[in-house]
Amino acid sequence: MASSGWELAVNESGVLKGHEGAVLAVRFNGDGNYCLTCGKDRTLRLWNPHRGIHIKTYKSHGREVRDVHVTTDNAKLVSCGGDRQLFYWDVSSGRVIRKFRGHDSEVNSVKFNEYNAVVVSAGYDRSVRAFDCRSQSTEPIQIIDTFQDSVMSVHLTKTEIIAGCVDGTVRTFDIRMGRELVDQLGHPVNCISLSNDANCVLASCLDSTLRLLDRSTGELLQEYKGHKCKSYKMDCCLTNTDAHVVSGSEDGFIYFWDLVDASIVSSFRAHSSVVTSVSYHPKDVCMLTSSVDGTIKVWRK
Amino acid sequence: MADVDEEDYVYFGTPIEREEEISSRKRKAIAEPGTLRSLPPWKQEVTDEEGRRRFHGAFTGGYSAGYYNTVGSKEGWTPQTFTSSRKNRAEVKKQNIYSFLDEDDLKDIGGNTLETSMQYDTFGFTAAEFARKKAEEEQKKRPSAIPGPAPDEIVLPASSSIGMRLLMKMGWRQGHSIKDSNAESLSEIRREARKAFMALSSNKAEPDISEKDADGTDEFPDMSIDVLRNSENTPVYVLNPKQDMYGLGYDPFKHAPEFRDSKRLRESKSRETKRSKVHMGSLLSSNSKKYAPGFGIGALEELDAEDEDIYASGFDYEQTEVELEPSKAVSSSSGDRMLQLEHKKRGSLLGFKLASDSDYKLERFYPPAIPSNFRPIHKFGAPLDQTLKNYNSVPPPDAPPPENTNLRLLIEGSAAMVARCGKSIEDLYMEKSKTNPLFLFLKSGAEGYDYYVRKLWENKQKFVDNLKPAEKLTAENRGRILGERPLASTTSRVNDVSVKAREVINTQSSHGDTVTKPISLADLPDSAIKQFKHDPAKQERFELFLKEKYQGGLRASGTRSSTSTSTMSEADRARERLDFEAAAEAIEKGKQTIQISAPSTDHTKDLLGFGEDRFVSSTLIENSETKLEETNVVYPKREQFEWRPSPILCKRFDLIDPYMGKPPPVPRPRSKMDSLIFLPEIFKSSNKEDAKSPIGNSLEASKSGLKEAEAEPSASEADVAPTSPKNVERPVDLYKAIFSDDSDDDEADAGPALNQALNPVKSSEGANKTLNRLVAGDFLESLGKELGLEVPPGSIPGPSLNTNTVSLPEEQKSCKGGDDRDNTPFPKVKETKSKDYGSTVDSSREKKRSHSKHHRRRSRTPDLDPDSGSDSDSHRRHRSRSKKRHDRRDRSRSRDSESSDEAYMNRKERRKKHHSRHHEHKKKDYGDKYSDKKRRS
Repeated sequence: MASSGWELAVNESGVLKGHEGAVLAVRFNGDGNYCLTCGKDRTLRLWNPHRGIHIKTYKSHGREVRDVHVTTDNAKLVSCGGDRQLFYWDVSSGRVIRKFRGHDSEVNSVKFNEYNAVVVSAGYDRSVRAFDCRSQSTEPIQIIDTFQDSVMSVHLTKTEIIAGCVDGTVRTFDIRMGRELVDQLGHPVNCISLSNDANCVLASCLDSTLRLLDRSTGELLQEYKGHKCKSYKMDCCLTNTDAHVVSGSEDGFIYFWDLVDASIVSSFRAHSSVVTSVSYHPKDVCMLTSSVDGTIKVWRK
Repeated sequence: MADVDEEDYVYFGTPIEREEEISSRKRKAIAEPGTLRSLPPWKQEVTDEEGRRRFHGAFTGGYSAGYYNTVGSKEGWTPQTFTSSRKNRAEVKKQNIYSFLDEDDLKDIGGNTLETSMQYDTFGFTAAEFARKKAEEEQKKRPSAIPGPAPDEIVLPASSSIGMRLLMKMGWRQGHSIKDSNAESLSEIRREARKAFMALSSNKAEPDISEKDADGTDEFPDMSIDVLRNSENTPVYVLNPKQDMYGLGYDPFKHAPEFRDSKRLRESKSRETKRSKVHMGSLLSSNSKKYAPGFGIGALEELDAEDEDIYASGFDYEQTEVELEPSKAVSSSSGDRMLQLEHKKRGSLLGFKLASDSDYKLERFYPPAIPSNFRPIHKFGAPLDQTLKNYNSVPPPDAPPPENTNLRLLIEGSAAMVARCGKSIEDLYMEKSKTNPLFLFLKSGAEGYDYYVRKLWENKQKFVDNLKPAEKLTAENRGRILGERPLASTTSRVNDVSVKAREVINTQSSHGDTVTKPISLADLPDSAIKQFKHDPAKQERFELFLKEKYQGGLRASGTRSSTSTSTMSEADRARERLDFEAAAEAIEKGKQTIQISAPSTDHTKDLLGFGEDRFVSSTLIENSETKLEETNVVYPKREQFEWRPSPILCKRFDLIDPYMGKPPPVPRPRSKMDSLIFLPEIFKSSNKEDAKSPIGNSLEASKSGLKEAEAEPSASEADVAPTSPKNVERPVDLYKAIFSDDSDDDEADAGPALNQALNPVKSSEGANKTLNRLVAGDFLESLGKELGLEVPPGSIPGPSLNTNTVSLPEEQKSCKGGDDRDNTPFPKVKETKSKDYGSTVDSSREKKRSHSKHHRRRSRTPDLDPDSGSDSDSHRRHRSRSKKRHDRRDRSRSRDSESSDEAYMNRKERRKKHHSRHHEHKKKDYGDKYSDKKRRS
């Protein structure tokens, strides 16, 4: 599995500066050529991280922007944050096409589905809501409110909506089967991330532990410890080869674990403050990290 | 025509255009007379040899027009239709110079426009006016250096007119009278006044009125010459446009002319200020545009078009009071005035003016010089906690307060002060005690010292207690302090004995509100019982619950009512109850609890860790709960529920809706409690069923519903009716809605008994519509055919309707009403008449019938004649019926039914006819009337 084993993106190759204040999320686009960041300064920014170029700034949010996602065809963006709305953007013009309302409080996470027709968002209001991009309506087409607490993170597969919640659960809503699978982890889930083969889900819990679950059985495969994650919304992810697990830490460190034996492969200080988000290139050994210190760093092997 | 000719001939050289035109016209004129002659004489045109319309004559003028050159017609004069109403006003035609020009003139003009030339504008009125207007328009279009309408006296025609120039050449000078000089005192005076005015206006500093100056230079030398020559001047007649809002001819300065000058001065000044403000591009108050008074805009906002006062009354909100020192203002030099203006620009609000002299002077205080060794961080001399801890250690013995109340109060006060502010205050007091005997108690051994020490300790203790929880002020604590009710989820907390909680206990006990321990629970550990210390009320309830649990007794409903406060909702209560149960269970395993509480301290640290973070307290609770459960639950735990994606979501995910759009049975209860509370027993059981078979249940439910409906003994037939499938089957709702009577008939077909039963309800309505149906009968039928619906031929059976009429007199009335509707003006007359004739109706009716029939025959198309047979048939039937009743009121009604029979027959026999029936009815009525009249006569 770990064929390219030790090739980790641990060398800093660039810094993207521009955000004022904390950067809350950084996301590669579908093919990994561009990245989007969002932050406390109420803006979204589009970068070419490989060349270190800032391409565009999207301004319209009234509060901090917490998450952003781009369609597979790179034509549209969706972003969410403190202003309780989802903003549906046109990438090239930088205009807001629509604002989806419905959440009663801050929206933590947002994703497009495979066909870019639905936007699914997770909010502090203990709900996951799905909005239809194709209709003119700004009202949700589905509200899932079985959560007991703030929903921190949401992911979509072709047939499922997976959400991690502070009530200590990872819930999988299978649209095809019409069922809800609740995996109780016993600790507030901060972030979830899917493995590239989509068989496993990595959940970052607020007890400073990452937990890897088998999605089909709900079995706990591995726990990863060593970093600090107790109070901030932080991201975790798997590397492009699924060989390692990456997470930031509240002390500004980045940790790499071996997927199988859970040993810390590498850890280094990346930022001066909390690492809010990590994003791994879908193909290459390249990683982006963002931090409260307002910088985005590009890492290569 | 000409083109065709041209093709036939070969031309050399270029033809002379004009000739060609003429010839063509000629030809036209020749060709036309033939056609013209055929026209009526007044339409014939007289043309000249060139084919143009000829003028009538040299002196009468105009073309021949109208009817022999009159405005009328053959029938006479018709006035132009008067079209003036509120909506459609007669158009006011605006004449301009072009309406007086024909195309030849226009051609001559070419592209040029006609304007009054300045040259011939002798008196400078029209052209000047025009120029001014133009200037104004331009002003409006773009902001210029001179805002607002330019004053008349400033803009003057630059060039003098021809007349003026001629006069000048002849030696005339401007200002001179053309006639011989004759001393006129009046004009002299006027001239003087004018001069003064000119002087004044020129005095106004006006850098931007250069035109005026230029003009002025022309003027003044003349004047001086005038003065020298002492000859007369024609005064330039200055037109003062009316700019005020006074009535015509009203002069406010009539008796006080001295104020007139001052006002004028002020006006010109304000004009200037406006101008200068524009120069400044100011954000200050009023601009050249008017802004709505009373609606300010922010200092940082820019003036927009929206801010303009669209309701501007035309008033300038200026000072209206007369300045008290006009003389001063006049006499003061222009520079001085400019200074004043500067002042005005700066500070004064609209409607206020600056005080001329004030004592106020802006004083400036410079910041104090910071000593070089100053460090901006304050350091406390001694850490407060340490001093506090000293007091913590050894509680001094309790001492009785001194008898002297004053002293006691003083001691208590100072103790509180010292406790709060630390040792330094005590030292201060000590120093004071040297001079003031009141503070003697501070010395050890003195009177009240012991008491002071004790008080001090107590205060410190309190202070510490207060301090500590304040250090870790969580949302819950804050809520408690503020007296908020904890959230429902918060109450469901099975609390561990955390450090924080201990502190809370400490404070509680130190403040003396200890909770009485139930006797029976004495053997239980205190910490176990006090699981809800953060919520004293709840704790109390919990204890009561425990007491009852351990002591036995009735606690099912009695407890609930006794312990619960009315503010609690049923759900809260139930939830709490479950909590209590769980807690009690935990207590039962007493030892376990203690074991849990011991290691839990380390994880409560974690809890405190994210008590500060951004997640709500419910996280905490959830977590602590799960922690407790961790003893027997292994994570991760997987559960499975039913979840219904919305159909549109499935569609967008390109998936097949697993539930095929079926609605969910009953929303899945979020927890056990919900179902416990909200649903009565019956529902719960059904709920279980639902849970068992989530997919098939909707079907089941519908089935059971059907069964129930079936099983239910029908109280009335009407109740069954809606469930009967017949109603469901009928698809033509519109059809039914329009002709609801038809459904009646259908039902009658299905079951006469049912129909009878329903009739009392429906019959009046049905009767009302009878006539409609009759009229529409054929239409209905055809409609039915079109819709592929079989209208049974016996659907409108006369007899059945008749039976109805027999049984229901009120229905007859309504039916008659229906008749009335058809032929409004007649029925009343008919009725009275027919009443008069009582029983003789039959014969008269007979006559009438024949008469009407006769009418009908005449009017009908021949192919309709076979109807007559059926008609007569119906007559017979009708007659027999009327014999029975002898009720004249029924006449119309019976005729109705008769005609319905007719219609029925008609339908049977000839289905093509649609319209004429209605007319027939009417004709019949006419016939009736006619016959009635006959009879009367």
